[in-house]
Amino acid sequence: MLKMHNIRKSYRTDTIETHALRDFSLEVDEGEFVSVTGPSGSGKTTFLNIAGLLETPTGGEYRLDGEDVSNLNDRQRSRLRNEKIGFIFQGFNLIPDLNLFDNIDVPLRYRGFNAKERKKRIEKVLDQVGLSARAKHLPAQLSGGQQQRVAIARALAGEPRFLLADEPTGNLDSLMARQVMELLEFINEWGTTIVMVTHDPDLARRAHRNIQIVDGQVSDLHRATAPATAEIA
Amino acid sequence: MIGYYISLALRSLRSTPILSALMVAAIAVGVGAAMTTLTLNYMMSRNALAEKNEVLYAVQLDSWSATNGVDNSSEMPWQVTYQDAVRLLRSDIPSNQVAMHRWGGPITLENSEIRPFIADARVTSRDFFALFDVPFIYGGTWTAEADNNPVQQIVLSEKTNDRLFGGENSVGRSVNFNGAAFTVVGVTEHWQPSPKVHDLNNGHFNDSAEIFLPFGLHRQFEIYPWGNTNGWKSEEINSYEDRLNSDMVWLQYWVQLDSAEQVERYGDFLTGYIREQKAQGRFPRPLKFGLSHPSEWLTLNEVVDGDDRMLSWLSLAFLLVCLVNAVALLLAKFLRKAPEAGVRRALGASRQSVFSQHLVESGCVGLAGGLVGILLTLAGLGLIRQLQMGYMDRVAAMDWAMMLAAIGLAVLSSLLAGLYPAWRISRTNPSIYLKTQ
Amino acid sequence: MLELRPILSALWRHKVSALLIALQLGLTLAIVSNALVVIDERSERISRPTGLAVEDINSFSFLAIPEDYDKFEAFRLDLDMIRSLPGVASATISNHVPLSGSGSASGFYTEPNKETGGISANYYTVDEHFIDALGMKLTAGRGFSPEEVMQVGATSSERPTVAVVTQKFADEVFPEGNALGKAFFLGGDDHPIEVVGIVERNLGPWPNSSVAGRGVFYPAIMDQWFYYIVRAEPGQRDAVLKLVEEKLAERDPNRVINADTMEEQKAQQYASDNTMIKVLASVVILLTFIVALGIVGLTVFWITQRQKQIGVRRALGATRSAISRYFLLENLIIAVTGIALGAAAAQVFNGFLASEFNQPALPPIVTISCALFLLGVSLAAALVPALRAANISPATATRSV
Repeated sequence: MLKMHNIRKSYRTDTIETHALRDFSLEVDEGEFVSVTGPSGSGKTTFLNIAGLLETPTGGEYRLDGEDVSNLNDRQRSRLRNEKIGFIFQGFNLIPDLNLFDNIDVPLRYRGFNAKERKKRIEKVLDQVGLSARAKHLPAQLSGGQQQRVAIARALAGEPRFLLADEPTGNLDSLMARQVMELLEFINEWGTTIVMVTHDPDLARRAHRNIQIVDGQVSDLHRATAPATAEIA
Repeated sequence: MIGYYISLALRSLRSTPILSALMVAAIAVGVGAAMTTLTLNYMMSRNALAEKNEVLYAVQLDSWSATNGVDNSSEMPWQVTYQDAVRLLRSDIPSNQVAMHRWGGPITLENSEIRPFIADARVTSRDFFALFDVPFIYGGTWTAEADNNPVQQIVLSEKTNDRLFGGENSVGRSVNFNGAAFTVVGVTEHWQPSPKVHDLNNGHFNDSAEIFLPFGLHRQFEIYPWGNTNGWKSEEINSYEDRLNSDMVWLQYWVQLDSAEQVERYGDFLTGYIREQKAQGRFPRPLKFGLSHPSEWLTLNEVVDGDDRMLSWLSLAFLLVCLVNAVALLLAKFLRKAPEAGVRRALGASRQSVFSQHLVESGCVGLAGGLVGILLTLAGLGLIRQLQMGYMDRVAAMDWAMMLAAIGLAVLSSLLAGLYPAWRISRTNPSIYLKTQ
Repeated sequence: MLELRPILSALWRHKVSALLIALQLGLTLAIVSNALVVIDERSERISRPTGLAVEDINSFSFLAIPEDYDKFEAFRLDLDMIRSLPGVASATISNHVPLSGSGSASGFYTEPNKETGGISANYYTVDEHFIDALGMKLTAGRGFSPEEVMQVGATSSERPTVAVVTQKFADEVFPEGNALGKAFFLGGDDHPIEVVGIVERNLGPWPNSSVAGRGVFYPAIMDQWFYYIVRAEPGQRDAVLKLVEEKLAERDPNRVINADTMEEQKAQQYASDNTMIKVLASVVILLTFIVALGIVGLTVFWITQRQKQIGVRRALGATRSAISRYFLLENLIIAVTGIALGAAAAQVFNGFLASEFNQPALPPIVTISCALFLLGVSLAAALVPALRAANISPATATRSV
């Protein structure tokens, strides 16, 4: 599903060059649930941004779903992001001016679905996360856990093959965190590949496999239940 | 997608009503100022004779003094002398030709309740109506004889006919003008070129004539024109006849020449005429005459004057400030919404669609600004009409074309203003907005 | 200054927005200073003394209906009647009314039989009451006696032997001085016309033309062009206007009467100058307003953006006034930059207006005053948001999200 080989990413300012990722290689199979951990500044976020096609690597090769995406232009990358990738953030990142229905509508608009198709999909995912009754509410009227469920619904509406989650439970209390985690596991069981960045070792252990990033490189891998491969360069 | 962008734009503008109002106001004020002056310039530079522009010519003869120049852009007198006008009228080359000037006097009906009033008159040769395409409601122009001999025939304008005869067919009826009885031979439709290209001597935008009188009446009525009379020579004027034969200029002369061949022949005719006059001691300056199309005539006469053009420049500079203002406000507004743009990028919006979305928002500001701008323009023109004390009533008015232009200008300027802010927001790295601080 | 460096580096991060504000202020300065120069020139033009009792004067003319109307007889009867009316201070008859936009001009020479090198001036034919009726001031010599006033037809070649002239005419035609008693000639003519009196001033029919102020008055009455010029007692003008119009029609209904006040005619002569002043004044006010709003908008925006930063500064011990000072100083830096650019732009713009439209030059004092004014506007616009910024609680720093 995801295959990174010798990915490098450096940020340059006037005076210094920082290497966020160095010869970073990783493979994630279809249907896997991978957790990513590591200390602050290790390159977790950079990895996530590159994996989610929000940033382009300085060097190396990245294949998503068999396709080389290293050299795509912005329009092609946006298209892939829209069709294949779903994002879930720690801060939920719902658009405050839009109600739940319209928030979930956003990626579907960019996909170019007609109104009927969009409505069908929005209602379906809202039902899946149990918030059908609140479609017309604004995000601010919801609790944190509900907001994150809406964010998940928005990520799922486009039926992505690949879900990227950045500390999805970081802003939630433990009960809500557990609910969100169960929802993610449920989604994974239905076939969606998930990569989740987290601080929480308990959550990390619930994934099939845990990857630790230190200093911009994969430092260790704990095989969990499902078979998977990862290479250290 | 554009529909989606518009709905997003409206939502976004509603969410920051004060900032949105500021932006709309900036565009509206700029467009209002620019359109006020542009409308004036546009209306002032209109050519009412545009349809016949290619075949009509204002005639100028350089009959002026050898020593004292003529202080205007053409360096020739605007008008011609009576004696030249009469002799030019004898040419059979032009399809139509008109010698004319402004006059006026009291008009009334015998045995009528209608109080006498002063009617603005045009004393002209009979081709006037054909040359300028002035349509008749009733009747037509006077007999050919009336151009050379005193024949008391009169053509009324629609307005005068309404006033004297309640609008009915008055052909054959008699009116009293300047103490003499005239027979009505025709009634013209309302004809009001603005600017008054056919006679730019006494104001460019005032009313056209209310009555038309034949050219053969001068001696009988000892007509002194109600226009400009200019002379350069010390002449003994002891009688009206002396005046008619003087070198004072006070008539406008127009010809219609339909073909290049006609133009050439007429040029030869004028050259020959001036040579003949030179032989008799007139036309002391080098041989020169002018044939100007109506469009050229308007430019030559500087109908749009320096003040008008200066105000246009100034208002465009004003619009520029308003645009810079709008750029700054749009930038502030868009940057405030940068996190939302980041989310959209993550959800699959390309840079281009983020750019388009924000440009559409700018366009919506412009559209609103344009609508308010039209109101401001109308107010501005109202102010001008008031300040110009009636002189500009006819030109300080907006037509549909100018209203559309106002909207166009507003939308165009706001799109221009939105270009940089929209580009900037589409370029920002989405990932920095997605992380929680 | 102590805080200058951090402000400059913060500004550098917002350079586009800062530049936009500076640009607005600069352009505004360029436009406003040039507009003020034009306004000043036009106001001066309008407020020039006319030499006439503008507020008290009405003028009347008539067109007779019968063709063979005895106008000279009518003039005598009309003027006698007008002069006897209550509220009328004085009345004369003239071929033209000053400030009306309708007049006559000719060339005048100090030597006989000349055709070139003359000075052009407006001329009037008037009866013996003209100085009093127009409210002019005789500064030297005398006016006309009734016996001197000729009756002339339009084609009469009879020429006057005496004239009263304006001071400006006297000074320019006789630069060596002492015009009184001297003679001048019409072009190509050898008939001398003696200056018997000098009036202080008369702007003439076209106050914006180059001949304005040069005036010659002849003792004559013409039947082709004529106006009764009637000066009312102070405050009686409108009553007199109505009364005279009525009485003229009553005395002889066989004519159409036309009446005007000189004040209205003067306003019409200056309408385009007046328009220019009002339009430019609106531009100045609106521009200043728009720019001020823009500054308020952007300052508010910047402060919202830096709310947390301000909280941190407050938590670290910055006083309220230090915070306000920070934003005002920031505004000052932007404004000074913009205004410096604008002062240069004002000169360029003025050069363009001067060469294209003959507008007056821009004196430095105007640019400087406008610059100071705009600086004040800019600071005032930033003041309210800056004071509000000082109220941001230090607790903002510790609150996350």
